[in-house]
Amino acid sequence: MDYVIDLVIIGLSVGMVYALVALGISLIFSGLDIVHFAHGEIYMLGAFIGLMIFQKLALPYVPALLLAIVVTGLIGVLIERLFYRRLTRAGGGYTVAGMGMIISGFGMSIVLQNIAFLIWGAKPLPFPVPFGMPVEVGNLTLPMSYVWIVSAGLLIMVGLHLLLRRTMLGLAMRAVAHNKDIAYLSGINVPAMISLTFGVGCALGAAAGVLIGPINYVQVQMGLGVLIKAFAAAVVGGFGSLPGAVLGGLLVGVVESLGAGFISGTYKDVYAFILLVLVLMVKPSGILGVEARMKA
Amino acid sequence: MLDIKDLVSGYGSVRILNGVSLKVERGQIVALLGGNGTGKSTLLKAVSGLIWPWSGSITFDGKRIDGLRPDRIVRLGLVQVTQGKEAFPGMTVQENLRLGAYAVRDRAKTAAALERVYGYFPVLKEKRHELSGTLSGGQLQMVCVGRGLMSSPSMIMLDEPSAALAPQVVLDIFRTIHRIARDGMTVLIVEQNVRMALLLAHYGYVLKDGVIEIEGSAERLMHDDNVRLSYLGGTVANREAQL
Repeated sequence: MDYVIDLVIIGLSVGMVYALVALGISLIFSGLDIVHFAHGEIYMLGAFIGLMIFQKLALPYVPALLLAIVVTGLIGVLIERLFYRRLTRAGGGYTVAGMGMIISGFGMSIVLQNIAFLIWGAKPLPFPVPFGMPVEVGNLTLPMSYVWIVSAGLLIMVGLHLLLRRTMLGLAMRAVAHNKDIAYLSGINVPAMISLTFGVGCALGAAAGVLIGPINYVQVQMGLGVLIKAFAAAVVGGFGSLPGAVLGGLLVGVVESLGAGFISGTYKDVYAFILLVLVLMVKPSGILGVEARMKA
Repeated sequence: MLDIKDLVSGYGSVRILNGVSLKVERGQIVALLGGNGTGKSTLLKAVSGLIWPWSGSITFDGKRIDGLRPDRIVRLGLVQVTQGKEAFPGMTVQENLRLGAYAVRDRAKTAAALERVYGYFPVLKEKRHELSGTLSGGQLQMVCVGRGLMSSPSMIMLDEPSAALAPQVVLDIFRTIHRIARDGMTVLIVEQNVRMALLLAHYGYVLKDGVIEIEGSAERLMHDDNVRLSYLGGTVANREAQL
């Protein structure tokens, strides 16, 4: 039984990382109508930036995490301004013009990987954070790194929820996600909101990268695996739905962990997709899937 | 207040407006009439900045506004309420209204505007915490007009506020528009319901094939043979019989 609980806890913490990346992807999809295929690289970039701040600036882990979130968010805003805006202006989403968006996302992912390679090299770097001794909860022993991931992830999600539901800025972001014309006519600076939405999406990816860093190595190739899992998570939960992204992420993490523990670790990457296929067979719109019209 | 000169615009490469000139004086209600596909909505969109004017000029309150971003035009005090009763269904009535005052940073002003809108549409106050996705068509239209009023503009452009509404509801909406105008708002109203629009308005324009075909005081248009024939369902013979 303890073994099952251990697996679930590992699954939840890895799932939290998937959930954060999936949240970013869903947020960007709902706001910009683009599927952002370079999001794995944003996650990688965030992890490297966090590591650099942690080592070169010798800041403690938490300030390094926060600073990496902000810096990567700003890089996201820059990427949107310089590259994606020209394409979204020509149309987006599922139109023919949206295809250009998808291709340029792939292009961006290659560019970012190569930039990271030139700066940090191909060797995986350790992210040595002294988290301290594992905590004892009942007869369970929880490594601090997992406790960190889950609690920081939850805090970030609560923060995002409050931003979107309780502030005028969040209301404006939701308005832009739902209908850009009406948002414009309400006096909202739509292009600025789109940049902000993209930046927040990238910040979420960076948070995931910095959180996973201490239990994995930080390396140039780390984005691809996570991107695919996060997409699976977003689709399982219902693409474009933010609660769906969280639920999907946690489910993918737990299923993967249980599968690896009980069936075989060799096929670890397959379980997420078995889950994906099963969910799509029963409910093609995903568990919390919403009509596109209701996404605001 | 609003002065449009030789406005040419359209979608993509399709030209819809072929040089429209139109004036709205402060405090007036002006009706923009015309059949389907004559460019009425396109004209409003070009004025509010949702589509680009190709040529011509649009002056509002003495300032050129053609080519400005829509949110800037809203900040100058000119607001458009689009056709189709588009609200944000996942937000409450009050959130929808508050969004209309996004450009207003003053809390007291927003609160006052909210009370004013609730004054015009008391039913919205009752439903303020309900999601707008649950409202009836008439209530949705109220939310849309109310949202337009939230930034306390000096002029509002309404695109077919009576479309797809029950006759009693249409009457209510028109009465409220009349009240809003009486309280000092300048109104440009696009309508298919020509009779109602001319009863409400001071002045009217008839748009056909992207140009102004007829213009005149509402009184005059009401008795214009062409207008009666094309839009009021009357016939010339009919009119002669009345005389």
